Amino acid sequence: MNRHSWREVKRQLRESGPAGLVAIVLVMVASAWGGVLWSVRQWVQAELLARGRQTTVVAVARGQAEAATLSEAFQGRFPTLASVSLTPRKVQEELASWFPELSTLLLTLDERSFPSIVQVEVAPDQEEAVASFLRSRPEVTLVESSRGWQARLEQAVSRFFFAGFVLALTLLIGCCAVVLLVVRLLVLNHADEIAIMRLIGAHERDIRRPYLVCGSLLGAAGGVLGAGLLLALELVLRPTLPTLAIENWVLGALPPAGGLTAAVGAALGLASLPREP
Amino acid sequence: MIHLEGITKSYNSRPALRGVNAKVERGEFLYLSGPSGAGKSTFLRLLYRAELPDSGHIVVNGSDLPKMRRRDVADFRRRLGVIFQDFKLLRRRTVAENVTFVLSLLNLPEKDQQRRAYLVLKQMGLQHRMSAFPDELSGGEQQRVAIARALVLQPDLILADEPTGNLDPERSHELLELFKTINYQGTTVVVATHDRGLIEAHPARTLFLDRGSVVKDGWGSVP
Repeated sequence: MNRHSWREVKRQLRESGPAGLVAIVLVMVASAWGGVLWSVRQWVQAELLARGRQTTVVAVARGQAEAATLSEAFQGRFPTLASVSLTPRKVQEELASWFPELSTLLLTLDERSFPSIVQVEVAPDQEEAVASFLRSRPEVTLVESSRGWQARLEQAVSRFFFAGFVLALTLLIGCCAVVLLVVRLLVLNHADEIAIMRLIGAHERDIRRPYLVCGSLLGAAGGVLGAGLLLALELVLRPTLPTLAIENWVLGALPPAGGLTAAVGAALGLASLPREP
Repeated sequence: MIHLEGITKSYNSRPALRGVNAKVERGEFLYLSGPSGAGKSTFLRLLYRAELPDSGHIVVNGSDLPKMRRRDVADFRRRLGVIFQDFKLLRRRTVAENVTFVLSLLNLPEKDQQRRAYLVLKQMGLQHRMSAFPDELSGGEQQRVAIARALVLQPDLILADEPTGNLDPERSHELLELFKTINYQGTTVVVATHDRGLIEAHPARTLFLDRGSVVKDGWGSVP
């Protein structure tokens, strides 16, 4: 790129006007959304769906006596694991503490409305054996495992991320399309000048390069703004979600990703350029 | 330097050139003359490969134009100095940038580009208009910028299409003197003009075209 090419790029950036601004904003939104998607996904994986986390298995017993029998049987079968037996009263208090806004109501209910529960914390690899044992017991009416909830959450999260990915892809295609249109407009406006440049000995690469650079700079500018937006979002969310961190490489990757996306759009826009006979 | 053999060219079935044969030696000065629509501009456009002939052979500066690969066209044109009838200046660039642009294509150092552009623009009497844009110039000034751009590369061959069309008689004669000087230094010059007075004042070999055919090839002004 020589001085002439850089000046041409500056002229093109000026001439791209509102359409160029739309391209920048679109890349900013797309790149920030991509960053959010990636960072939240990492956070969910680490905080909510971690494979190594202890699993809680809960068994609902038919009554208090059955709960005691169950605990004994459990200790006999799994002597190294500690089980906690919760009386209906304790369950009532626990629920009231989890849902303070409903506590008045919960605490006025008859304690017999609540079940006796046996709760066990196990390593993930033991979860299946423990749950199977509990299900096989006649004292038990229901067995639930946090692993099951985790699997359901994982499924919901993966659906959400798939939708997010589709949206990101749509935005990405939108960015490409807008930059394509910006470059095509510029090329149309400069059609005479491009023909002259060819006639006085400019190579195709001399002609096309400034348009590609202009498109890439629009994308990179959008990427930089997207990174700024992401950083601002992190600062806003930090008090609520202190463990949600945007990795530096994600911030660093947004401008080149924006530039690359826009470069593809610019290259497609240049495809309309008529060639020499 | 230039060799045309059996060249025909039509636009929408209307023949512009019909079986033209011509040979121009290196270092020669040639006028292309004839009435409007005779095929002078088409002749020149074929020489800088803006057009391809329907049939026939063209060799310019050692390059067989119909067989030339697209990617070699730019390099071929860099060895030519073409002065277009409608100037073909880059509107969004200043006079200086119009001239240095062709030098930048050769990757010459910035200072060298500026120096050469200044010298050639001074020669054209435009050194005080270097930062003006083409639309701020008169027709004559624009034509001189176009000439400066063609000369700055010190080309092997100069092709000029009505280069004096917008110049006053004094400037026209000065320009022809300049072309002659460049020609004496070994550069081949082809000038398309319908100005008989100019040909009479600066006589040289003249190819007279009429309705797409060469009707006379001789010295000086022709009927």
